[in-house]
Amino acid sequence: MIEHVGDDAALYALGALDDAQRDACDLHASACPACAVLLGQACDDVTAMVEADGVPAAPLRAKTLPRAGLGAFWPALAAVILVALLPASLLYRQNASVTAQLAQEDAMVARLASSDHRTAKFGPMPGGHSARVMYGPTGSWYVVMVKGTRKPMQVAWMHDGEKTMLGTTRSLGEVAMLYLPQSHRMEKLALMDGNEVVAEANLAY
Amino acid sequence: MADGDGNRDLATAFAARERWAFEEAYRQFAGLLYAAAYNVLGEAEDARDAVHDALARVWRSPGAYTPARGALKSFLTVCVRNEAITRARSQNRRTRLAVRLAAEPVEYEELRIGDPIESDRLRIALAALPEEIRRPLELAYYDQMTHVEIARALDAPLGTIKSRIANGLRRLGAAMRHA
Repeated sequence: MIEHVGDDAALYALGALDDAQRDACDLHASACPACAVLLGQACDDVTAMVEADGVPAAPLRAKTLPRAGLGAFWPALAAVILVALLPASLLYRQNASVTAQLAQEDAMVARLASSDHRTAKFGPMPGGHSARVMYGPTGSWYVVMVKGTRKPMQVAWMHDGEKTMLGTTRSLGEVAMLYLPQSHRMEKLALMDGNEVVAEANLAY
Repeated sequence: MADGDGNRDLATAFAARERWAFEEAYRQFAGLLYAAAYNVLGEAEDARDAVHDALARVWRSPGAYTPARGALKSFLTVCVRNEAITRARSQNRRTRLAVRLAAEPVEYEELRIGDPIESDRLRIALAALPEEIRRPLELAYYDQMTHVEIARALDAPLGTIKSRIANGLRRLGAAMRHA
């Protein structure tokens, strides 16, 4: 049996221990009230993080949602754009075929598997349009997607009171997008129509 | 406190393996448990399986939970999250991705409706931590890396990483409670 849980309580609650180490903590805590309390406190802290992270609306409802909803389309399409595999216009509302193509490409799957991503919304978007950016947690890539307009929009990095123009979205049917390989974290992006900033997104890392 | 979610009776009955308590715990915490699994696995069916398997394991193991372990809600959340992490680690990454993408699509917006104020609290609390403490904590929580992997990734001694993660989680928890 381990001596006392100590710092392992946090690792236990975060899932940073392997199964055997977790079992050892459980066994020890069953006979050590102080360590049981320590584990409980660490579990409270991680639970607070999970709660803050967001709770799905309806776990059972998700399965009944229609196929190829636009929401599911975003990550699949962004993934494909990342490796520039297919003309994106063919992918709209074809999530299943995208999936099949993805599965056939080892290199791409490897890239996707290792590509954890985050998203941020641009707001406020005018005229019922919506836009978001998906990006790598290290700032190595960004995909800006604008739904509901074919009009090209400029994307700028807002920093230190300045705007650095990054590129222009390209229309792919009902969606326009821009893939931006980068080497640094950008914390604020703007969508621009000419010289006018129409929406901004704050990116958290 | 036996149960931080204010339900000592439920925690006690759960520890005594009364069936109603199991059902009630599931009813009360299903959304949170699903979120804990989904946030790790990113796939609805897999997340549901992880919740089921974790709860079944707890239920099959007499003494797994006692009120001394603190809030039942937190205990179950961590059990489910750990189950999800174990699954994620054991699955072939390629297979996991293929399954994820081939799965019945779910509405992204429907799945991520976290309270923006709560999310901001977490982000702000994390941002307030010094980099050397925040980074290992982020790698543990968001990337589900083991402490050994984190130590290797950050090129730091294992003991240092362990104490930084523990320190970071304590500070983060305190900051979120008092925010």
